[in-house]
Amino acid sequence: MYRTESGEEIFVIDSHVHYWDGSPENQENIHGKQFIDCFYDYHRNLSPEDYVWPKDKFEKYDSQTMAHDLFVKGYVDMAIFQPTYLSEFYKNGFNTTEQNAELAKLYPDRFIVNGAFDPRDGERGLAYLEQLSETYGIKGVKLYTAEWKGSSKGYKLSDPMTYKYLEKCCELGIQNIHVHKGPTITPLNRDAFDVADVDEAASAFPELNFIVEHVGLPRLEDFCWIATQEPNVYGGLAVAMPFVHARPRYFATIISELLYWLDEDRILFASDYAIWEPKWLIEKFMAFELPEDIQEETGITLTLDIKKKILGENAARLYGIDIDSQKEKLKADAGLKGAS
Amino acid sequence: MKTKVDRRKEVEDRLAQVMDPELDESLIELGFIDEIRIDGRRVTVSFKLPTYWCSPNFAFLMASDIRDRIRELDWVDEVSVRLKDHLYADAINDGVSKNRSFAETFPEFSSGELNQLRKTFRDKAFLARQDRLIRYLLKRGMTKTAILNFTIQDLQELSGDYPALKNHIESYLSIRRECLGTGEAHDTAFVKKDGRRIALQEFADYLKETQRTRVSMEFNAIHCRGLFQTRYHKEEE
Repeated sequence: MYRTESGEEIFVIDSHVHYWDGSPENQENIHGKQFIDCFYDYHRNLSPEDYVWPKDKFEKYDSQTMAHDLFVKGYVDMAIFQPTYLSEFYKNGFNTTEQNAELAKLYPDRFIVNGAFDPRDGERGLAYLEQLSETYGIKGVKLYTAEWKGSSKGYKLSDPMTYKYLEKCCELGIQNIHVHKGPTITPLNRDAFDVADVDEAASAFPELNFIVEHVGLPRLEDFCWIATQEPNVYGGLAVAMPFVHARPRYFATIISELLYWLDEDRILFASDYAIWEPKWLIEKFMAFELPEDIQEETGITLTLDIKKKILGENAARLYGIDIDSQKEKLKADAGLKGAS
Repeated sequence: MKTKVDRRKEVEDRLAQVMDPELDESLIELGFIDEIRIDGRRVTVSFKLPTYWCSPNFAFLMASDIRDRIRELDWVDEVSVRLKDHLYADAINDGVSKNRSFAETFPEFSSGELNQLRKTFRDKAFLARQDRLIRYLLKRGMTKTAILNFTIQDLQELSGDYPALKNHIESYLSIRRECLGTGEAHDTAFVKKDGRRIALQEFADYLKETQRTRVSMEFNAIHCRGLFQTRYHKEEE
C-alpha cells in the first residue's frame, strides 16, 4: 500500500515479478551465463546507485528477500509471477511456475501465479496446461515467443498450434495472455520483435486479454498502433518504468504516447523484479509529473486517478480482484513474519 | 599511396555511413566500432553491440554494410569484419568474410534475405527524421501551410538561413533521396513515405504517427547506448 501525503491509500499490484535462479550452478551452458549477465546490465544501467545489487545476489536471491523487497519495503500489495522457463539454458529452469508456486504458498493472498505454455510442445503441452490450471488455478500465462526449443528458435502467436492453446485457455478460464517480445535470439530475416502476430490473435480471441510486456519496446510505435485497433490489448510497463529515474523526459514522452494511443485503463505497472525494485520505481512514479510543454503539446495529464489505475486498479480488473475485500484480507495478513 | 592518416580518415568516413538500422545512427556515433586496423591494402574492422542477444539479422546487416562501404575505397584489397561478444559472432564473421548472403549464412533459420527488413527500418527512419525536422520548423513559428508547401529547393535555401537546422535538413533530404529518388528542386519537400502529398486537414494526425515512430526509435537509441555503456565501460566510470 502506498500512502500519499494527504493520507490516501493506493493499492499496488506489481504485474510482473520473477523468482529466478540464474546462478552458475544452475547454468546449463554459456547462454545461461549470458542471459543473466544481460539482465544484470539492465539492472545496473537503470537502477539508482543505492539500489544496485552485488552480482551473486542478483543471480540468486531467497524468498524472504523477495517478500521483503515487495511487500514490506516496496509498497506492493500483490504481485503477479510471470514465469520464464528457459529450460535450454538452465538445468532446473530459470523461473518456473512450480518454483513460483512454492513462494506463493508461503505468502498466501499476496501472489498470483501465472503459468506458461509453448505451442511447440503439442498435445503433451495442452495436457500440462490443464494440469497447471487444476493445480494452481491460473488466470494467466506468460508467453516467451523467442524461447529456444530444440532446433526451433521461436514461434508466433498466430501459428495454428498457438491457436489451439489459446482455445484451451478460453475453455479453462485463463483470460490473461502476457506476451514477451524480446530480447530475440532468432536469426530470422524478419523482425522478431514484430508485434503483428498479437494483432491477429487479439482479433481472433476477443474474450482474452493480451498484455504486451514492455509495452512492445523496442517497437512501441507498432504496439501503440495495434492497441488502438484491438480493445483487448494492454501494455505492461516493465522496462519502461525505470526510465522514470534515469531519463524522466523520455519516460514522460512514452507515458503520454501510451495515454494518447491506448487509454488509462489499459496500462499496467510492473517492476520486472528482481531487475528493478518496486520501492524506488513507485516513489519516483508517484512524485512524477509530466513536463508542462509535453502536457501542452499532447493535451495529456497524468492525474492521481490515472496513477491509481496504472498502479493497481487495471490489473485488479483483469485478475478479478476486489480491492476493498483484498485490503481487508491483507490487514489480517500474518504471512509476512519472516520477511520483515 | 596515401598516408596512413589519410587512409584511416577515409575508413572512418565510410564507417560514418554505416547505420544501426533500428536506431538510425551511425556505428561511429554509437561507439560500436571497437578497432580499425590498416595493414597496407588490408583493413580489419571490429565492432561490438549492446548485448550478446542483439538481433542477428540487424548485426548481419551492419557487418555486411561495413564490408561493402570499405570495399568501395580504391586502395583496399581485402576487408575483414569481426563482430565480438555476440551469440552469432562466428557465423556472421564467417558469412560476411566469404561474401555469403544472410540466407546462406543461416540456412536453417531464415526464410529469405534481409531486403524487406532493411526497407521497413529505412521507412521508419524516414518518418523519424521528417518528424524531427517538421517539429523544429513549427517551433520556429512556421505555419503548417507553409511547411507543406516547401519544395526541396526551399529546404536547401533554408539550410543556409538557419545553420542550426542544417544537419536536420541534410539528414532528411538524404533519406528522402534514398527512399523516393533524387527528385526535382521544385518537388514538394514533405511527402508521405510512398511519395503522396500530405493534405493540410490530415497533417495533425499524420504528425501523431510520425511522432510515435520517432519517439520509439529515440527511446531505443538511449536504451541501447545505456546498455552498451554498462556492458563495456561501467568499471571505468
